[in-house]
Amino acid sequence: METNELKNNIRRLRFEKGEMTQQQLADLAGVTRQTIIAMEQGKYAPSLPLAFRIAKAFGVGIEQVFEFTETTPTKTA
Amino acid sequence: MNRIQKMAWWMAIWISAGVILAAIAVAVMFWVIGMPWSIARAGLAFLGIAGFGGLASLIFKKDKGKITCDERDRLINNRAAVAGFCAAFLVTGLACMLPFFILGPEATISVTWLPNIFMAAGLATFFVHSVAILVQYGWRGDGNK
Repeated sequence: METNELKNNIRRLRFEKGEMTQQQLADLAGVTRQTIIAMEQGKYAPSLPLAFRIAKAFGVGIEQVFEFTETTPTKTA
Repeated sequence: MNRIQKMAWWMAIWISAGVILAAIAVAVMFWVIGMPWSIARAGLAFLGIAGFGGLASLIFKKDKGKITCDERDRLINNRAAVAGFCAAFLVTGLACMLPFFILGPEATISVTWLPNIFMAAGLATFFVHSVAILVQYGWRGDGNK
């Protein structure tokens, strides 16, 4: 069975953007700080519009913020 | 912990308290004291305590900050609402089917059970809705670090 995983570089990008706080990013993206935290921890996959807003907040392309990995685990008997 | 989580905790605690106290009161009056069921069931009045859960929106003020509710909060609330309605369906289904299988098709039951079933379904809805919110956010609200 295929499993899809959405990884993100939000934490790294925040620090590269002059130690931007989670609250500052949340305000720019129009979400709560809890949602930013959940995304950084990989517990929440954002909607496409939110993903674009986050990328815009960092001033980068969406593919630089989010990475989609498709893995196909091997079957065990 | 945001306002929605605090409200969910408040609701879950009051509903639990009401159900536990009602169960204890009925059990004590029926089995320990030996009262007839028609009197012992008055212990169910303790379920009224669950009504305090409805004060949550008055007690917990809106969170500070520009954004207080976003797409994740709405998604969590929608999922919790679905879980709550599923619980109500399950309770109503069991309340309808169990007497049939336990008492048999020829038995009769009092219509006073109908408002009780309605109340049980309502309690189940609110309780499961609250627990589902807490589970999805994480019990301790550890998404704040």
